[in-house]
Amino acid sequence: MDDHEADEQGRTAGHVRRGTATGDGAALQLIELRRRYGDRAALDGLSFAVPAGQVFGFLGPNGAGKTTAMRAIVGVMALDGGEVRWRGAPVDDEARRAFGYMPEERGLYPGMTVSEQLEYLGRLYGMSSAGARESALRWTDRLGVADKRPAKIETLSQGNQQRIQLAAALVHDPDLLVLDEPFAGLDPAGVDEMSAVLAERAAEGATVLFSSHQLDLVQDLCEAVAIIHRGRLVAEGSLDELRGGGEPRLSVRVAGDLEGLWTHDLPAAVRVAGVKAGTVSVVLAPGADTQLVLDVARAAGGVEHFSVDRRRLSDVFREAVSGRLDEAGPTGGGPADSDGGGERP
Amino acid sequence: MTGWLTTLWLVAARELRQGMRARSFRVVTVLLVAAVAAAVLIPAALKGHRTVDKVGVVGAAGPAATATVHIASRITGTTVQVVPFGSLAAAEAQLREGNLAAVLVPGRAVLIARTPSAGSPASGSSLSGALALAGGLASGSGAAPGGSLPVRGLSPPLTALSVRLTGLAVSIAIYIIILIYGSRITVGVSEEKSSRVIEVLLAAVRPSQLLYGKVLGLGILALSQALAILVTFVVLGSLVGSSLIHSASLQVVAVGALWIVVGYAFYCTAYAAAGSLVSKPSDAYNASLPVQLPLIVSYIITFTVLYGDTVPGFYWFLAYFPPTAPISMTVLVAVGVAHPWQVALSVLLCLAATVLMAWIASRVYARGILHGGSRLRWRQALRKDG
Repeated sequence: MDDHEADEQGRTAGHVRRGTATGDGAALQLIELRRRYGDRAALDGLSFAVPAGQVFGFLGPNGAGKTTAMRAIVGVMALDGGEVRWRGAPVDDEARRAFGYMPEERGLYPGMTVSEQLEYLGRLYGMSSAGARESALRWTDRLGVADKRPAKIETLSQGNQQRIQLAAALVHDPDLLVLDEPFAGLDPAGVDEMSAVLAERAAEGATVLFSSHQLDLVQDLCEAVAIIHRGRLVAEGSLDELRGGGEPRLSVRVAGDLEGLWTHDLPAAVRVAGVKAGTVSVVLAPGADTQLVLDVARAAGGVEHFSVDRRRLSDVFREAVSGRLDEAGPTGGGPADSDGGGERP
Repeated sequence: MTGWLTTLWLVAARELRQGMRARSFRVVTVLLVAAVAAAVLIPAALKGHRTVDKVGVVGAAGPAATATVHIASRITGTTVQVVPFGSLAAAEAQLREGNLAAVLVPGRAVLIARTPSAGSPASGSSLSGALALAGGLASGSGAAPGGSLPVRGLSPPLTALSVRLTGLAVSIAIYIIILIYGSRITVGVSEEKSSRVIEVLLAAVRPSQLLYGKVLGLGILALSQALAILVTFVVLGSLVGSSLIHSASLQVVAVGALWIVVGYAFYCTAYAAAGSLVSKPSDAYNASLPVQLPLIVSYIITFTVLYGDTVPGFYWFLAYFPPTAPISMTVLVAVGVAHPWQVALSVLLCLAATVLMAWIASRVYARGILHGGSRLRWRQALRKDG
């Protein structure tokens, strides 16, 4: 696919789209990925690109195809069509040795100790015995589970198992981290710890792609996201672009007007989205003048608060997904990310 | 290729390490070795309690005959007592009742209760053999080639039965080892699948490396256990001069050892494929049943051949049919009807089938191992598109 085709695809999605599969500086490119399970399309021509050295959020409702795409990236699952490229070249076994993967369905050998498990995985990724041992020590230190090294996996708490699972993805110091719901089931302290580790890895040059339903967390942690639905990309871009896009929103509070009665004088191009404790949220149609809203508010009384609101990521997500829901035909749809039957996507 | 093999060995070494660490492996190995040691040592020990071997001498037990018996006693290191008999019939009667170890008929023959087998020691270490040798020299009759007196048994040789029993024991060993380690492979694969570790592993290694590494590791474990049993049998048997150790039985044991290796190679990948079809270890038995059915059938039929007078024609087919050959061909060797070239042909056929089985099993494994939800049927796995 050339740039023109990629841009065309971006426009047809009808949402903010940048940095398509052939985007400049992209470390990881997903190009027209297709995968069907019987009659269901889990991936339906999915394309997007992940820039190098970023923490990149991969979002979508349940069954959107995130897990299928991540499995395809790490080579656990074969595709019906399309291609995954890493640093401009098709992904092969050698390239995959630079990938670290944390599956949604966590799993390690229950009867092996933490040290053995991490060293074993390090060796499978091509590390020397000494290198794997040193790395296992380093990551268990970093993740606060040094005292668990001699313990069998099955004896650890869920939180500690999750930390070990992350260590297993990190043990060979991969250049690309693919993490499927890494924060699920973690307590707030665990979330902070894992967020810090991911940010550190990105700062050191690694590319981090992770999926999550915790949109506030994604908003805090990521520089850019891709949102998919029914196996297709519905929005992609930096958080600044995505949150700044769409119809402008304002928050205005006029002294003494708890019900927002001053809004009755607003022109039709300005829609009231809600009133909360006297603060009115208004949405401006394209071309509507922000200054006009301020003038109307001033005319009604003293303006205590006036701000231009950026959309929350959750708003962007809902908008992107609901748009696709409206568009989706009867043949769309793939299996759930954690499917209950059939082949795991 | 080197990297591929290195990874394969890493997987195999993990299986080996974990397997040897398992308490069940250590306990079973100790029990099996102890059982074999007991089977060899107890008869020898009981034999050792018989401090005096009585040797009947027919006719006047003159100084020459007595000297012959004592020479044989010194050769074999046994203590003997000479019992004179007036008639051959009286001596044979006592021999039949087990009161005598042997009867010397000076210048003519040495009689024992049962005709010695073709493969058993006829001279030197056995008292009857030593009597025959010393008696032959004393008489100077040249009654037999080499100057020895002939050794005759009152009853037909027990050889066939003892070798057949060895064949039965070896068949049981083949059956148990393939069944135990095959089941371990099935359960191990299904555990990797159910514990979800498989997805982490497959991100680092290819399914074929995981499959062959696992069967190699567990195969080494199985063979080390079989080797421990074999070494115990041969070494202890030789040390105590067990009657179980003679060439015909050793031949059956050697063929059995060969078939343990070839049979395991044939079945192991199929057991792994069976494990990949189920999502929980509790379903592993049902999935592996079709794999082990030929083994069970050939094991059951074994008894009819080992205890029968003739070998049915269809049994020859089973001896060449790869899934049943490991047990069936071993049985044919034990009953003494299979020639070496027939064993070699059967092994070659089984090895060729092993390559085919590995190819089919690796396809099923690669498809089944990431399949979630309900159990995948063999037919579904074989038919499933890419």
